[in-house]
Amino acid sequence: MNSPAKYLPRFLCAGALIIALAVMVNFVVDPLQLFRPARLFAAMYSQDSRMQDAGLIRSQQFDTVFMGTSLAIHYRQSDIDRHLGVRSLKLALSGSNSKEQKFVLEAALERHPRRILWQMDDWIFRDAPDVDADIYVPVDLYRRNARGIAGYLFSGSMARESLWIALRSIPPLQSLVARLTTGVIFKFPVANVDDINALHPRFDVAGFYNAKSTLAAFRRITDPVRSRYLAQGYDYDAMIRHFERDAVGLIEKNPDVQFDIYFPPYSILQFVAMRDASPPTLKIAYDFSAYAAPRLLHFPNVRLYDFREAKEITHDLGNYADVIHHSPAIDLKVLSMLAEGKYRLDRPSPTASLDRLKAQVEAYRVEELR
Amino acid sequence: MLFNSYQFIFLFLPVALAGYFASDRLGNVAPVLWLALASLGFYSVSGWQFVPLLLGSIAFNYAVGWLMISSRLHPAPRFAILAFGVAGDLAVLGYFKYAGFLAANLNAIFSTGFAVNVLLPVGISFYTFTQIAFLVDAYRGKVARYALPHYALFVTYFPHLIAGPILHHRDMIPQFERAEAKRPDPHLILCGLIIFAIGLFKKTCLADGIQPLVSLAFGPNAPTFDQAWLGALAYTFQLYFDFSGYSDMAIGISLMFGIFLPLNFNSPYKATSIVDFWRRWHMTLSQFLRDYLYIPLGGNRHGAVLRYVNLMVTMVLGGLWHGAAWTFVVWGALHGGYLCVNHAWNRFGPAVAPRFERAADIAAFVVTFIAVVIAWVFFRADSMTTALYVLSKMADPGNVAFGRLEIAQAIFILIYAGIAWFAPNTQTIMGYDHANRTVGRGLRAWQMRPLFIYATAAVLAFGILGIQQHSEFIYFRF
Repeated sequence: MNSPAKYLPRFLCAGALIIALAVMVNFVVDPLQLFRPARLFAAMYSQDSRMQDAGLIRSQQFDTVFMGTSLAIHYRQSDIDRHLGVRSLKLALSGSNSKEQKFVLEAALERHPRRILWQMDDWIFRDAPDVDADIYVPVDLYRRNARGIAGYLFSGSMARESLWIALRSIPPLQSLVARLTTGVIFKFPVANVDDINALHPRFDVAGFYNAKSTLAAFRRITDPVRSRYLAQGYDYDAMIRHFERDAVGLIEKNPDVQFDIYFPPYSILQFVAMRDASPPTLKIAYDFSAYAAPRLLHFPNVRLYDFREAKEITHDLGNYADVIHHSPAIDLKVLSMLAEGKYRLDRPSPTASLDRLKAQVEAYRVEELR
Repeated sequence: MLFNSYQFIFLFLPVALAGYFASDRLGNVAPVLWLALASLGFYSVSGWQFVPLLLGSIAFNYAVGWLMISSRLHPAPRFAILAFGVAGDLAVLGYFKYAGFLAANLNAIFSTGFAVNVLLPVGISFYTFTQIAFLVDAYRGKVARYALPHYALFVTYFPHLIAGPILHHRDMIPQFERAEAKRPDPHLILCGLIIFAIGLFKKTCLADGIQPLVSLAFGPNAPTFDQAWLGALAYTFQLYFDFSGYSDMAIGISLMFGIFLPLNFNSPYKATSIVDFWRRWHMTLSQFLRDYLYIPLGGNRHGAVLRYVNLMVTMVLGGLWHGAAWTFVVWGALHGGYLCVNHAWNRFGPAVAPRFERAADIAAFVVTFIAVVIAWVFFRADSMTTALYVLSKMADPGNVAFGRLEIAQAIFILIYAGIAWFAPNTQTIMGYDHANRTVGRGLRAWQMRPLFIYATAAVLAFGILGIQQHSEFIYFRF
């Protein structure tokens, strides 16, 4: 046999063997904990919620699911548990839309939680691609189909994480490997599930959330050059359609699950910006609320809270980093208000809070800020 | 279909290879037909709706070429036929590629509200240029008569169809006619697999690996000075390993079929001048632009001034070929300007004393690389505003982040730079000699050292393990 004919099968077999080894390492370490909770090696988590949630849903014990956007991403599960007396799982996704949220919630509902805690606003119902067309959502991992499992096991980057996690479990290397895990090359830097996307204790909260930043953001979004972005994606009919399909559809399908839905406490400047720079957008936001609140309260398994009228929070601009994102102190405040039932809407008067919000927005004078 | 996909590697390629070698028993033309059909199948996965356009383009150009080759025509009608053929090609290319751009510019000037939304057929730039070269050579009397199946395969040949290299009929068709190419050669298959493995690794591990850092400069957040440079450098290396990886894969795949494709890359970031850079980067496009645009324009035959004008025209059109956007025009113009400066320096610049030659080479290398990086900012940016914004950040050293994260990112980029600047390229490793149709001679003499075989098998494995679900080649868009 001449050399090439002899070496060709060797070349192919060696390649196949290395791939098989990587698959085995991925299966044994299971960085996402897709097959089983971490036992052999200490658990590590990624800050990439869209990927990490697929594993969390399979490996964590929970009776309550917490869903939302970037406004809910910094909550700590331990705080949710403490305030509400539940065992929660945070699945919030930055920049998520209702299609994604419904998709992830449906996967979580397969584990039969008793309660869904949902930070919901009109923004999530804007038009968005289907989850299958969204390259950032690993849909097959959630579906646990052959393609998803194969993609996970045959992934070199996952094998790299697996080896790193295994290395981190060796006591003498633990601290060194932990220090080298910056999140740049290795994507699983979080050792405690409670710390996923939570702000680091050394994070400069006061430097990030303050009135100066909020006002700067307000000026930016009301600048005539950029103000058209306020209206981007706001189409009343489409938003109602998405709301019916993603929110109402999910609630209808799960009558045994308690849905605690809240409209988050934006700063008042968000609405004032729409009032001054894009009145038709404000009208859509109001009309959407006027439609959504009675519709949600129609279901006996829904409790609805509207924190947008919580003046003590929304009018204190020091609570915000821009016109909508509030500080971790407000996260805790929201949890305690949920526990107390504060700002909960009455079924007989579902739009009363909206009327109060409208009055606040109407009365707010921007000149005082200048 | 992507070369870096499981469907291609584990299904399409083995079936195409098996059918090609098996159909040899049916005659010399059967493997050619099989490969042409497989290529159409490959193309249809990327854009089935454009298959009729591709077939129409082949039929049109073959017919025009046939008229020029077969008929004993006088020069004037021959030229008229050539003009008709080239104009037809350019009209189709112009419609699909530039109609939207033209409408957008007319809108901007006259506020007409006229919108054109035309989907760009995959690979149209490549197969159009390939056929224009065929027509021009047919006009010049440099084309022998080719059988239609061979011509069709030359245009559709799947290893090159979507993102190059730009093939030349004189190089390819005689290879398709060779009977020996249709019998499996374990040496060529092994060498092809190794070259494919290196290309796959470049794409899935290196290019896709650095891609997230590109958003440092071109993402939604305002970059600092160091972040803007890190992002621009990340794109510089992403593009290099992406396109170079594609070209390696194309060569490797083709080699398994016994066909030698031309080289498209020769370590371009090792260049010590812009002229040198263009001899090493996208070599087949450079050759096409030189032979079918720069030289017909007059090249350097009509004095220095016209030479610079011709260079600028060639590079601006080369830029526009990459995409219908002002950013590509500026990128081309910038390189045209660089080339003019380079030629002027060669002509008027001072001679370097021998003892300073090494230092001069290093300085030339650094200046060339920085010039290329700056030009890539226009190539990558989605608008002129973005490009100028990123460049303004790259020119503002007063605003620096340089924290732990940026240091880690800088180290990451330095590793890429080390590979691009100091590692031998694929053709050197494999002894790929396109002109002499040889490959792996050294390896043969070396009796395929097991260590090399296992190391390259690992490269293949890492390349396959690096495959991501969403990872197109950058040049697919051109």
